[in-house]
Amino acid sequence: MDNPFAQEPRASSSWLWQVITGIGLLFLLGLHLVAQHFLVKGGLRDYAEVVTYLRNPLVLVLEVLFLVCVTTHAMLGVRAILQDFGLSARVEQRLSRGLTGVGILTVAYSLLLLWVIIH
Amino acid sequence: MEPFKHPGFYRVGRWFDLRRRKAGMWAYALNRITGIGLVVYLYLHLVVLSLLLGGPGSWNAFVSLARSPLVLVLDVILFAGALIHGLNGVRVALTSFSRGVRVQKGFFSVVMVVTVVTLAFVALKVFGG
Repeated sequence: MDNPFAQEPRASSSWLWQVITGIGLLFLLGLHLVAQHFLVKGGLRDYAEVVTYLRNPLVLVLEVLFLVCVTTHAMLGVRAILQDFGLSARVEQRLSRGLTGVGILTVAYSLLLLWVIIH
Repeated sequence: MEPFKHPGFYRVGRWFDLRRRKAGMWAYALNRITGIGLVVYLYLHLVVLSLLLGGPGSWNAFVSLARSPLVLVLDVILFAGALIHGLNGVRVALTSFSRGVRVQKGFFSVVMVVTVVTLAFVALKVFGG
């Protein structure tokens, strides 16, 4: 069987974004895991500690950046997987719009969650 | 054409076909499968974080549950998925920009070894406190 990586990923702007967000995630996910779980006794903060932690402006900026990167990477990944089904150009266009919408809703809900927790 | 004989389903079905696999196909299938798992986890994580809206009572009850051995095992599995996806992703990205194409099979072996070693360290950290 041929190696599928020989045909893909295609050199497109979406693949470039997949790589950029992927590189970002290597740092941001690592930071998130270490700061949120490995440095905390018992692996998870209690409610009061979560609120205090997220009120730190630097932490907030990094968490929002992480959120945007992970959502973008996930939506582009789902799109790439669904493209494996051999979709028509029309369906692919609808899929891209739908996934963009899901991504925007995901980020919006998460930002709302952050806002409510901080305040 | 019958729906499950569509070429698209055949292509996706090959991810789970373990016969006569080469390293490249293992890497491809693992990247896809871990990717799907991580997307499912992303939304599960958002649902769990929504417990913070319920105040200290609901969140602190979840924290107690999350420290149970079963959830810790799931955490280690999740970490394995993230490690494989992340490290293998670096290999895929380099290959797509024509870097290290000749050594990509060796690179995949390195990815798997680093994953196992890091996972052993993480498992010790998670279960050892």
